[in-house]
Amino acid sequence: MAKAPPISNRIRELRESHGNMSQAALADSIGVTRQTVIAIELGKYSPSLESAFRIARVFGLGIEDVFGWDAPAAE
Amino acid sequence: MSLFTSIREMPFREKTAWAMATLLTAGGIFYFDKVVSLSRALGETAPPIIGFVIAYVVLIIIGSIILMSALAASSAREAEAPADERERQIQDKAGHWSGYMLAFAAFGALLNFSVDGDGNMLFHLVFAGLMVSQIAEYVFQIILYRRGV
Repeated sequence: MAKAPPISNRIRELRESHGNMSQAALADSIGVTRQTVIAIELGKYSPSLESAFRIARVFGLGIEDVFGWDAPAAE
Repeated sequence: MSLFTSIREMPFREKTAWAMATLLTAGGIFYFDKVVSLSRALGETAPPIIGFVIAYVVLIIIGSIILMSALAASSAREAEAPADERERQIQDKAGHWSGYMLAFAAFGALLNFSVDGDGNMLFHLVFAGLMVSQIAEYVFQIILYRRGV
């Protein structure tokens, strides 16, 4: 399996707190497929910077409120 | 998850990759079955038969039109949408790896020709390399869709 990138995210939690927004609705609002949103949520795909900003804007948050860097500092 | 649900949940482009990989494999088996049968009958490598090549190409074109139309009809919205960033990455990677396979097959065919000088075999090996690399491109896409880019 492709090595998972050390990027965590709170997309699922944010969707749920935003009126149980569906993956399809989020996908539509950022211009990707639902499967890509699923892959991002599961940490199987790192979105482009543009998509990361788009996701953050959907939730009215900054990018670091949605995505986190999980690797050790020395990496 | 049932097979039906699994298929329904697949991205449109993964469905097309499955369809095209299956179609190309069937076409390749059809083509090489004819070539092998003819070679056995002749007792040597069959020469390139343009009729077989045309039949293969026509079969693939007709089959792909039917399959793509059926898939597009069942997922019209997804079919119309351009590939997103993840799908483009998947297509690029799969195309890149299949390009290596084609180069490897072409090099192998040339090496074989340099040893036994069989031009007919050279044709068949290069044609097989084209088919296999194309099938491999779709298989790589399926793997990347399933396991992550």
